[in-house]
Amino acid sequence: MPLSPTQLNALRALLDRLIPADEYPGALASGTDKFILQLLTHSCAAEATTLAQGLTRLDAEANSCHGQRFAALPATAQDALISALVQNRTTTPWPATVSAAAFVNRLIDLAAEGFYADPANGGNRDAASWRMIGYDPLLPVRPSAP
Amino acid sequence: MNASHSIYDVIIVGAGLGGGIAAGVLAEAGQRVLVLERGRDLRYRDIPGDHLRHHRLSLYGDNTTHDPAGHPRVFVDPQGGSRTVFPHEAEYHNNALTVGGGSRVWGMQAWRFHPDDFRMVTRYGRPAGSSLADWPITYADLAPYYERAEHEVGVAGDHTTTHYAPRERAFPLPPVPSTPTGAWLARGAAKLGWNAFTPPLAVNTAPYQGRAPCVQCRQCIGFACPTDARNGSHNTLLPRALATGRCTLITRAHVARVLTDTSGRAIGVEYFAPTAPDSAQTERRTAFATTIILAGGAIETARLLLLSNSPQHPHGLGNHSDHVGRHLQGHYYPVVSGLLPAGFENPNLGPGVSIATTQFNHGNPGVIGGAMLANDFVKLPIIFWRSHLPPDIPRWGLANKKAMRELYLRGIDLRGPVQEIPSPDSRVTLDPHVRDRFDLPVARLSGTTHPETVRTAEFIRARAEDWLRAAGAERVWSSAMDLRLSASQHQAGTARLAADPRDGVTDSFGRVHGHNNLWITDGSLHVTNGGFNPALTIMALAFRAAAKIAAAH
Repeated sequence: MPLSPTQLNALRALLDRLIPADEYPGALASGTDKFILQLLTHSCAAEATTLAQGLTRLDAEANSCHGQRFAALPATAQDALISALVQNRTTTPWPATVSAAAFVNRLIDLAAEGFYADPANGGNRDAASWRMIGYDPLLPVRPSAP
Repeated sequence: MNASHSIYDVIIVGAGLGGGIAAGVLAEAGQRVLVLERGRDLRYRDIPGDHLRHHRLSLYGDNTTHDPAGHPRVFVDPQGGSRTVFPHEAEYHNNALTVGGGSRVWGMQAWRFHPDDFRMVTRYGRPAGSSLADWPITYADLAPYYERAEHEVGVAGDHTTTHYAPRERAFPLPPVPSTPTGAWLARGAAKLGWNAFTPPLAVNTAPYQGRAPCVQCRQCIGFACPTDARNGSHNTLLPRALATGRCTLITRAHVARVLTDTSGRAIGVEYFAPTAPDSAQTERRTAFATTIILAGGAIETARLLLLSNSPQHPHGLGNHSDHVGRHLQGHYYPVVSGLLPAGFENPNLGPGVSIATTQFNHGNPGVIGGAMLANDFVKLPIIFWRSHLPPDIPRWGLANKKAMRELYLRGIDLRGPVQEIPSPDSRVTLDPHVRDRFDLPVARLSGTTHPETVRTAEFIRARAEDWLRAAGAERVWSSAMDLRLSASQHQAGTARLAADPRDGVTDSFGRVHGHNNLWITDGSLHVTNGGFNPALTIMALAFRAAAKIAAAH
């Protein structure tokens, strides 16, 4: 597991705001958190440390502004904090290796990659995002190609 | 037969379009052919439908490369910084690594070049600092071989509307079906007074050569075709070669050097191959032939010529006048996005490319050359999210999610392959430090295209915006182009044709100057790369070279 339980909580809370549920499932119900953990274990193992650091900094920012971890904040406060971090507006020191904006933007990309990619990648359960936007690969059930 | 010392009539390095076509023509002409291919002979099920790892979006890998860590390249940025890059990264300038090469996963646009694409200097002059040159052949020299490629590989198109290049025969397959977006764009073109027609695609629109037609799925470019309707070398000329019984195909075979004798004659190749078909163990082998053909793509063919140096040829084969590896080019692609009007019924079917204009390939005021413009392939959701949402849509949150569901089916984009003005400094050399799995120096890519390319690309970008606006797009947006190295799947120019050995690497048929029996049949030969997708020109040159080789035997 590339993340601690606390970091994992922060990740899930962040994903829940990056692609929230509405009348369609959001990132969490689609398994996007598991998609990201899988990437951090395999294709993106080299990024695991910086993303873990970023999640710890996210909680530190939340603590600094609101006295609570990110996951415990109300949605409006979470969104305001994300907006600030995207613009690199921080109230606590971030390490030189990971800027707040780079961290959040990377999570924004990863969330969308999981949520909108093919279900076999693990972050688009039951192709929910595809049904939401009107995409179906329309592949033949029995491919005739050799 | 002793596999480590085999003798053939012809050895072909690379089983992509150029190599596969040469194999088919020469094996059917009675030659004993050995084809050495770095990739594997992948079946449909072996090429994953992974939306994050394929040949149009390779975020973490692709769906053909089997040993990405073993074959890096080095990329030098315009500021001079260099770094090691791997196949899934843009700076690697990758192409599919499999039998069939790029034709296994390509978008299938099968254009003839415009007659003026062969005489750019005559038409425009040579800009200072560029290596723009006329081809040593004309459109008329290539026309019969374009026709052969269209019929033997299989191209769908409408000869009654494709007027920019003279032709004698109709296409063998009817054009891809018209689409509502195509009809909408046609009305826009009519308002502007531009030509617009269904582009030629190498896809079975009807049963052809024993294979099924396209079923218009939405997982097209970058993936394997589920009905084998996408035409390439892997399902046409290469199977024909194998059917003769005179062609041997060895996959996972990495050619290390072309062997030459003291007179400069190519006598064979040294290569690494698995000790058994599925083995991870490799062994060094040598094969000999009377004719050697290189078709590894413009980057690897140049690398192989450079790797094949000898006391007689210290700078590599064919490199007597320092052209090998230079003039590396691909296509600049301005991309203009827009939104179809609200309520537009878009069935969003593949392949998706259904209309094109050649209005701006030549004769554009103040710029050199131009490009064909066409609508794009059916788009994956993640590609739409990454690159085609309007720029003012928030990148996250409910607003982004709502935009995805409201705009995905309304997205439309136009793009066109801008003919590059080549630079001698855009080049492939051997990296002095980084080596591949077999301890051979890897390709080092450096330089940029000529600034004139960017000016033409900006002109074309503005015309694409005009087209979307005239058609009635609700919004239109695009990004400015910058100066950079361009190669990628359309890589070309690194061993260019030239009648005079001082001006290029091969003669007008693709035979390497100074090496009478060493030939090239890939995009390396292209003096310029046309304002069109280059695959049909690669095919035509391969048919023409192979016919010449066959006739000499």
